[in-house]
Amino acid sequence: MDKKIAIIIFSVIVVSLFGIFVYAEGVSSGEIVNTLEKTVCCEKTNGGLFCQDVPDNECASDRKIPTSCESTSFCKGGFCFDSVEGTCLDNVPQVVCNQNNGTWSDEFPPQCNLGCCVLGDQASFVTLTRCKRLSSFLGLETNFDASNTNEVQCILSARAEEKGACVFEEDFDKTCKFVKRSECTIEGVTGVSETTTGNRSAGDKSRAVEGLTPAPTTPTAAPAATPSTTPSATTTTNQNAPVTGAVVSGINGSNKVEFFAGKLCSAEELGTNCGITKETICLPGFEEVYFVDTCGNPANIYDASKVNDKSYWANVKDKRESCGASSANEDSQTCGNCNYLLGSYCRESNSETANPTYGDNICASLNCVDANGEKKLHGESWCAFDSAGLLGGFIGGNSVGSKFYRNVCNNGEVLIEPCSDFRQEECIENSIDTGKGKYTQAACRVNRWQDCTAQRNKKNCENSDKRDCNWLEGIEYVLMGSVLSGENGSSSSIEGSSLQGIKERAKKVIEEEGGIPKGACVPENSPGLNFWSGGEAASVCAQANALCPVTYEKGLVGGGWKCVENCECLPGGELELKRAQLCTAMGDCGPKTNFIGQFGSGQGYKVTQEKLKGSKK
Amino acid sequence: MLKRGQTTIFIIVAVIIVAGVILIYMFYPNITSVIFGAESPASFLRNCIKDDIDNNINVLSEQGGYSEPEGYVMYKDKRVKYLCYNAQYYLPCKVQQPMIRAQFESELSKMTRTKADECLNELKDNYRKEGYTVSGGSNSEIKVEIAPENLKVRFNSPMTISKESTQSFNGFDVEISSKMYDLLMIATSIVDYESTYGDAQVDLYTQYYPNLRIEKTVLGDSSTVYVVSDVMTKESFTFASRSVAWPAGYGLEG
Repeated sequence: MDKKIAIIIFSVIVVSLFGIFVYAEGVSSGEIVNTLEKTVCCEKTNGGLFCQDVPDNECASDRKIPTSCESTSFCKGGFCFDSVEGTCLDNVPQVVCNQNNGTWSDEFPPQCNLGCCVLGDQASFVTLTRCKRLSSFLGLETNFDASNTNEVQCILSARAEEKGACVFEEDFDKTCKFVKRSECTIEGVTGVSETTTGNRSAGDKSRAVEGLTPAPTTPTAAPAATPSTTPSATTTTNQNAPVTGAVVSGINGSNKVEFFAGKLCSAEELGTNCGITKETICLPGFEEVYFVDTCGNPANIYDASKVNDKSYWANVKDKRESCGASSANEDSQTCGNCNYLLGSYCRESNSETANPTYGDNICASLNCVDANGEKKLHGESWCAFDSAGLLGGFIGGNSVGSKFYRNVCNNGEVLIEPCSDFRQEECIENSIDTGKGKYTQAACRVNRWQDCTAQRNKKNCENSDKRDCNWLEGIEYVLMGSVLSGENGSSSSIEGSSLQGIKERAKKVIEEEGGIPKGACVPENSPGLNFWSGGEAASVCAQANALCPVTYEKGLVGGGWKCVENCECLPGGELELKRAQLCTAMGDCGPKTNFIGQFGSGQGYKVTQEKLKGSKK
Repeated sequence: MLKRGQTTIFIIVAVIIVAGVILIYMFYPNITSVIFGAESPASFLRNCIKDDIDNNINVLSEQGGYSEPEGYVMYKDKRVKYLCYNAQYYLPCKVQQPMIRAQFESELSKMTRTKADECLNELKDNYRKEGYTVSGGSNSEIKVEIAPENLKVRFNSPMTISKESTQSFNGFDVEISSKMYDLLMIATSIVDYESTYGDAQVDLYTQYYPNLRIEKTVLGDSSTVYVVSDVMTKESFTFASRSVAWPAGYGLEG
């Protein structure tokens, strides 16, 4: 019996496309080194970057050592402490830190230890030096607790102390400041109003030279390496309690300071010169709109219906007892109980907001509307993908040039953050039900496609703890590992002996896996490839090449050749579509469109038939 | 007839008021001098130097705090300095500038020096024109200090002016309201995040700071450009980082 063996080769051709797939958005002066290049540790590169492992010819400085920078003394990464700002950065090369007057250390230095820094009614979890710096900016005494190593506790501790009316005499007038109990001292209430003059010469009294500005009366926590928190509600007090003040300190009989916990400065019974107004204020670090008294002290949350209500101007009201509690009160003209978590924050009213009944401030909306018209809360994020669609619903058939995006709602605006190019990152999202609707969070995460093709069974393939792959059912004759390498998948060099080798390899795989692999493991989101230069794209796509030995028979007495084995591999057979699908899943390979929906030139793959060398005629 | 006359007078008065307002607007510094007498030296210097400072701040804030950056990525036709960089794939970046605020201050001082000299000379000339005797005020050294809420330019140039009495100045401070300090400290924190973890989770910052806006753009070579801005003042600071970069394919080619 004569046999003719036809070779079916599904060689993959990188899709040549009409569109432009690479944005010329990032022309960098920095060096980029691939994983196989031989490098030296270079103190300064041609591009002006410090301590990089780059090829010798890209190094501009004389100090270069043929080893990794981590093994050198001058470029080793360590901690760099800024003794002025009190910040501490990790992975700073020694030479960079020293050049910038920092203090470098290999090990974590004690001055980088974080503690709780209380700044008025706010707190920051920072180093001691940073705490001193922030306190000096705000004109406050340093209040640092190194033993408090919990950031949340630190923030809460600043809120714990009760606030109230601090009544004192100034210029023979009984006045008041709304402060914390510990701040109700002569120094505390009168010190903050003192201004410091500039560097004026002694004797010069005729002209003031603008100098240092006075410390703000309402402290704000400046951002630190570790952010502080958003303020919460004010203190609850018993409104029926008798008005009794604690005499805190006094310079003389006429200049005593009294603290009235839970009282507002505008309370009539205190008899101060602070009265009610129709003005409002936004306080730094606080989300709500507050009434403000004639002395400039904040009162309760703005509620238009209580603008003349004396009891509302007398005692501190909790946020939960105020108007519109537990709602955002966006653009409310009458209620200033804003809620940052629900997407509103105290802002000055403008043409884009409503006008409040009293004052100039309102709960401005920070929320957004997405492309589908769905409302999104401030801080909410969700995924987007710019693909023209997965070709034919193929697994991993992502369009060439497409990538994932993360959309974020920020201050009423949708910000678009692209994930990495070449789909090396994918966007993942999840929602939680808040009771007031869905809240979605999204993130760009590494696309773990690299070892998909090494998986031989579905279980390992779809182990989502380790990789992002999918099992493509029914793809047989998957001879992975670039059996036929090269762009054309040329088979002309395959001899009968090679075919035998391939068969033996396939047999070994089958034995190891305990059965015939009935599928292929492919990336869930196919990676993009740099197909316009180099040969790596061809070698990645070539992993989808396959050799399918088709057997023909011819009778002894007449009749033509008849396919008897693996006939589905023949062109136009049912396997062709599956093979094409495999191609597209490997990367920017096979029959694909680009991200604006244009098809590549040509079919994207080809099937060739050859008689194997060494086969019988 | 009487009514028509009244209307005409009203129109004339309105035109005069509008013209006056426009003049004040256009020639504000000069007119205020005329109306309110001679400006204080600090006020004069502030008016003189403010535009230059604003322009320089714009340049620096778009280029990561450098006037002539080395090691940068082109983004929207601007050279954005890498404050953290690693040329290799898969590895976290190495910090290129740990003292971002100090760098910004130093660059701004350098850029503003020429204009500061001009302004001081102009100030002295103005006093001399008014009949004052001026001594000192040469060899001006300026120092920029960035603090929360403001940016201060210190003219360390002692000056004495005399006419009927003598006034001495050790120097002059010019303050400009700015949120740049906050933005630079946020940038420092993001660089720390990038160098430690490879990528910064910017949502954390916007959760804590309601007026903060952070735009994060990943470019084709895995560089990330951050634009940190204040939604109220519209000030911004732009810088770049390349950390835990991922190549196309397996990264066997550069």
